[in-house]
Amino acid sequence: MLAPVLAAAQGTSGAALDYAVTCQGCHRADGTGTPGTVPALAGSVGKFLRVPGGREFLVRVPGVAQAPLDDAALAAVINWMLARFGGDDVPGGLAPYAAEEVGRLRRRPLTDVERVRRELLEAIGRAR
Amino acid sequence: MTDGRRWLDHVVERGARQLARHTSRRSFLSRLGAALVGTAALPLLPVARAAGDERLAAPDDAALHGDVGDPKSCNYWRHCAIDGFLCSCCGGSQSACPPGTEMSPLTWIGTCRHPGDGKDYIISYNDCCGQSLCMRCRCTRTEGERPLYLTMKNNDLLWCFGTQSRAVNCSVAVVLGVATRS
Repeated sequence: MLAPVLAAAQGTSGAALDYAVTCQGCHRADGTGTPGTVPALAGSVGKFLRVPGGREFLVRVPGVAQAPLDDAALAAVINWMLARFGGDDVPGGLAPYAAEEVGRLRRRPLTDVERVRRELLEAIGRAR
Repeated sequence: MTDGRRWLDHVVERGARQLARHTSRRSFLSRLGAALVGTAALPLLPVARAAGDERLAAPDDAALHGDVGDPKSCNYWRHCAIDGFLCSCCGGSQSACPPGTEMSPLTWIGTCRHPGDGKDYIISYNDCCGQSLCMRCRCTRTEGERPLYLTMKNNDLLWCFGTQSRAVNCSVAVVLGVATRS
């Protein structure tokens, strides 16, 4: 409880600020989302990196691809989210997202998000 | 004393004596402690999470003069991107919903500059849901707002998502933190 209070008192900047004003309104400060309405990031987002196509999905999903941030800022937010909410699910030695990679992927937005997400979740379930 | 009252006295006394015989003071204290901890934990349950997001003591508005310091004004500094009826005029406050409404856990978030200290504060515009439109203190301000196709940054939408009712009553402007550009 003390850590967030101290962080708030010292100010929010960089990727944490971009998360707050761009993503947090729906995904919540603690990344738990709203069950049935907004998917949780906490305990979930890192799992996508363990299956083929998951790394790309995390950039191509509409909320990320269309975020009003430039490629470098967006890459920083995704890396921040993985560090904050990925936990032990993030594979060791993972290469952080780079601005160039994010720029390339976000220009190929998903046209059938629900299907791709469902298939990835099934793959995650099988990989357990 | 009537027979009825005497009978009631007898029942209560016997109950109290039995309770005292079968319950130690230590167990009573431990149960009382558990109850108190449980009560303290209640605000952490999901129903209260939206209201629990406020982390930072809001800056002091006492030195502000005129509308920028008046939570019932559209020109109040926190309202730089609000679109809706001010909860301050509807039985709530700038950061609390009126009784009988539920704060939406989903919200849209922007920053507003405090005219006193010059800092940019992160403001969460949560809708209060569960009653019909308040119809008092209607405001439309658009600092940092984006077009409708960027839904996460658009305040024309009704943000009663994840609530029991989709009916919107009014909007609050909760201070979440201080934005510092690094």
